[in-house]
Amino acid sequence: MAETLEPVTLGEPRPADVAAIERDLSALWKSMAAGNSQREAVTRACALTLLVYVESEEASQKVSGLIGGIIAQNPCRVVVMVVQPDAAEPSLTARISAHCHLPKAGEKQVCCEQIELLARGDAVRDLDNVVVPLTVPGLPVVLWWRAGSFTPPDYFRGIFRVTDHLVVDSARFPDPARDLGKLAAELKRLSAVVPVSDLNWTRMTPWRGLIAQCFDPAETIEYLEQLTEVRVEYEEESPRWSAQSAQALLLIGWLASRLGWEPDRADEPLTAKGSPVLFKSRRGGVSVERAPRKFEGGGTGVCFSIVLTAGGGLPAVFSLRRGAGGKYAVVRRELTGRPPVEGTARLEVYDEVELVNEGIKSAGRDAIFEEALEMVARITTG
Amino acid sequence: MVIFGASGDLTERKIVPALYYLSRERLLPPGFSVIGCGRTPFTDDQFRAKMQEAVAEHLQLPAEEKAAFASGFGKGIFYLTGDFSQAAPYEQMKALLDRLDHERGTCGNRLFYLATPPSFFPVTIRQLGAAGLARPKDPSCNWTRIVIEKPFGRDLTSARDLDQTVTEVFNENQVYRIDHYLGKETVQNLLVLRFANGVFEPIWNRRYIDHVQISVAEDLGVENRGSYYEEAGLLRDMIQNHVMQLLSLVAMEPPATFLATAVRDEKAKVLRAIRAIPVERVPEFAVRAQYAEGFARGLKVPAYRAEPKVARDSVTETYAAFKFYIDNWRWADVPFYLRSGKRLAKRASEISIQFRRVPHLLFRDTPSEQIDPNLLAIHIQPDEGISLRFSAKAPGPTMQIRPVVMDFRYGESFGASPPTAYETLLLDCMLGDATLFNREDAVELSWELMDPILTRWKEDGAKGLAFYEAGTWGPAEADKFIKADGRRWQRL
Repeated sequence: MAETLEPVTLGEPRPADVAAIERDLSALWKSMAAGNSQREAVTRACALTLLVYVESEEASQKVSGLIGGIIAQNPCRVVVMVVQPDAAEPSLTARISAHCHLPKAGEKQVCCEQIELLARGDAVRDLDNVVVPLTVPGLPVVLWWRAGSFTPPDYFRGIFRVTDHLVVDSARFPDPARDLGKLAAELKRLSAVVPVSDLNWTRMTPWRGLIAQCFDPAETIEYLEQLTEVRVEYEEESPRWSAQSAQALLLIGWLASRLGWEPDRADEPLTAKGSPVLFKSRRGGVSVERAPRKFEGGGTGVCFSIVLTAGGGLPAVFSLRRGAGGKYAVVRRELTGRPPVEGTARLEVYDEVELVNEGIKSAGRDAIFEEALEMVARITTG
Repeated sequence: MVIFGASGDLTERKIVPALYYLSRERLLPPGFSVIGCGRTPFTDDQFRAKMQEAVAEHLQLPAEEKAAFASGFGKGIFYLTGDFSQAAPYEQMKALLDRLDHERGTCGNRLFYLATPPSFFPVTIRQLGAAGLARPKDPSCNWTRIVIEKPFGRDLTSARDLDQTVTEVFNENQVYRIDHYLGKETVQNLLVLRFANGVFEPIWNRRYIDHVQISVAEDLGVENRGSYYEEAGLLRDMIQNHVMQLLSLVAMEPPATFLATAVRDEKAKVLRAIRAIPVERVPEFAVRAQYAEGFARGLKVPAYRAEPKVARDSVTETYAAFKFYIDNWRWADVPFYLRSGKRLAKRASEISIQFRRVPHLLFRDTPSEQIDPNLLAIHIQPDEGISLRFSAKAPGPTMQIRPVVMDFRYGESFGASPPTAYETLLLDCMLGDATLFNREDAVELSWELMDPILTRWKEDGAKGLAFYEAGTWGPAEADKFIKADGRRWQRL
C-alpha cells in the first residue's frame, strides 16, 4: 500500500458555502501544484464521493486518520459530516484539506480532497443543502455511517436521494438486537434504491466460509438438513460484546435464511441476551441459542465459538472456536462412529480501512446479507 | 462604441471590463473610443474614473495597471448625459462621433450597444434612425452595427413588434442580438467537439443517445431585481434564450460552413423541428416552481415572495423544467429535458448527453441496470470543460465494474483561463461575425414554443405552481416528472 503524507489543511473552518468551498478547493490544488514544482506533478484523483457520518469531532479526527488508507485504494472526494443536533448554538462550518500519497520515484503524486462539515444545533437541517452539491457529478456516492444505531434523521432524505451505496457497521450498535431490527426496517425503505454493506458482516466472512466448508464434503452435506441445535457463544462484559453480539445474530440470520428455517411463532421474540429461539426446518425443529460468556484472561482464549449439532440416526457435532489472539479458528467435526477430526484454519482479521475499502468495492446489492438481516429482524421483533 | 444605459450595472461589470481586456490584448485599434450615454449626469472625467474603478475591481488590476488604464484606454472614454428618448442628445452624439473620427481616427465605424431596460429599445432605435445614425457614413469603407441585449420581447407578439421596429431602421445584417451564453468558450467548443472530431458525430443521434439534459442552475436569488423578475419570470429570463440556444447547438445538423448564415440556418431548422406543446398539455411537459426559504451560499435565505419588490402572493416561476421532442430523423423520440432555476444548490450549467445502456451484459453477476450508461457532460460554468463517463474494471481479482470519468478542463489543459463571453462576442461583433448572435427567425421560433406555456401558466395562476426549498435542486415535482420516464436528473 502506498505511504500517505500528513494531510494539508487550508485555513480555519468557515461558514459552509458551497461556492466558497469549491473556490477554496481550487486554490488548494493550485497551491499544492505550485509548492510542488521541484517534484513530480500532483494529480487529483477521484473515482467516487465518500460521505462519512460521525457524531463527534473526535470521531472525525479518527476518520481523518483512516482516510489515507482508503484513498490509496479508492481515490475519492471525502466529505466528513460531524453532526451534533443537540448543540445549543446553530452553526454549519467547513474546513478542507488534501491527502496525498508519497510518490515513488518517477510517479505522479496522487492526492484526494477532504471536506469536513461541522453541523451543530438547528443548522443540521441545512446539512443536505451543502452536502448534495459537493458530491462529484457522474461518479458514485458512498455513505459511510460511522456512528451508533442506524437511525437517519429526516434531514438526511436529500442525502439518501444521491447515495448509491450505504456502508454501516453493526459492531457499533449499542443494542444489537434492537438496532439490527431497526436497520432492517430502514433498509426495507432504502434498499430498493440503495445497496447496503455492513462492515461487521464482512468481518464474519471467514467464519461463514469455515461453516460452509464443514458441509462441503459429500459425507457431511446431508447433515445440513438435519441440524437440530445451534449454539453461538460470544464475549460478555467486554469491549467486543456489542460487535460479537451483532455477529452472532447475523450468523443465526444467515443460517436460517440459507437453510430455509422459519421462526417458530410459538416462541418469544429473541430480545434478551442469551434467550433461545426455535425454528422450523424441513425436517423438524431447530433450537438456536446465543450464549454470552464471561471470558477469563483478557484477549486470549476462546472469545467466539459456534457449535452445530445434527440429529437423525447418526448424530454429529460441528464446532468452530476462535483460537488465541483471534488469528485462527479450531474446527472440530464429530461424526457418529468415526474418530473426531480437528484442525486449525487461519482467520483473516480485517482492520477498519480494509473493511471500508471492501465495502466500497462491492457496490452491488448483497442479497444474502439482506435476507440474513431480514431474518434477524423477524426473530428479534417477533 | 456607444453604450446606452451606460450608468447601469451591465456596463460596469461586463461591457467595459471586456473592452479593456480586448484593448490590453491589442485586439482593438488604438483610437477605439467609448461613449457612455445615460440620464445620470457625469462629466467625462467622472465617468472615466467610475469605469476605471469598475475595471480594476472586476479584472483585479494591480495598481500599476490601474494607472496605465487612466493614461491609455481611459482616455478614449466619453460620456453624454441626456434623455435619449428625445432627439436632442442624438445631435450632440453625432457631433461627438464626428469629432472622435477626426481626433482619434475611428474611421466612421459605429457600434451602438443597447444596455437599457427593454422598454427603451424601440424609442432609442427610432431616434438613432431619425438622427441618421443607423446607416454608415460610407458603406464602402465603414460600418454601423447595433447590439441588442436580451430580452428580445416578452412573447411572440412583442418580439415581432420589436423586430419590426429594428428592421425599419437597421438591416438584419447590422443587428447583433447578444446572448452571452453563446460566447462562452465551451459553447463554442461544443461545435468543435461535434464537428472537428470523428468519433462523436456518427453516434450523435437517436440510435445511440437515450436522452439529453440541459441544466442552467444559479445559486443566487433575485437579489435586487425583484421588480424585473416579477415581470419576466424564469422562462423569459433563461429558457427562451440561453437554454433554447444551447438546445439548438446540441441538436443542429452539421452546417456546410462555419459562416454565420450557415450556422444560424441550421439552428433555426432545429427550432422549427421542435414539437410545440399544446396549451392543454402543458402540465405533461412542463413543471414550474418558486423557491421557498432555505439555506444557500452559507446563509439562511428568504423565500422568493419575501424578496424586495416581489408580491407576497406572487406566482412568478423561479424554476422550470421541460421535456421537448425534436421531430426529425436524427432525434425522433429522444427526449430533451431542460431545467433552470434560481437559488438552486449551486451555480452550474451543463449539457449532459446520456447514451443508451448496453443491450446485454456479458459479465456475470453484474446486472446491466447496475452499470451506469455512458455520459458526455459539457460543463459550461463554472469550470468550463468536457467529461466522459464510462465503465471500467476496478483493480482486483473479481470483476467489479465501476464508473470512471475522463475529464478535460480548460483551466487545467490550456493553463490560461478562457476569455469571458463578452470579450468574445464584442470582438466578433466588431469583426462582423454574427455566428454567435441570435437571428430574428430564431428568436421568433423560440417564442413560438414558449407562448403556449406562458399562456397556460397565466391561466392557471397559483394552480400547479410547486415550491422548493432554497439551496436544493428544485421541487420534488421535477424529480417525479423525469422519474415518470424512468430517468433522473444528473447531479451537477
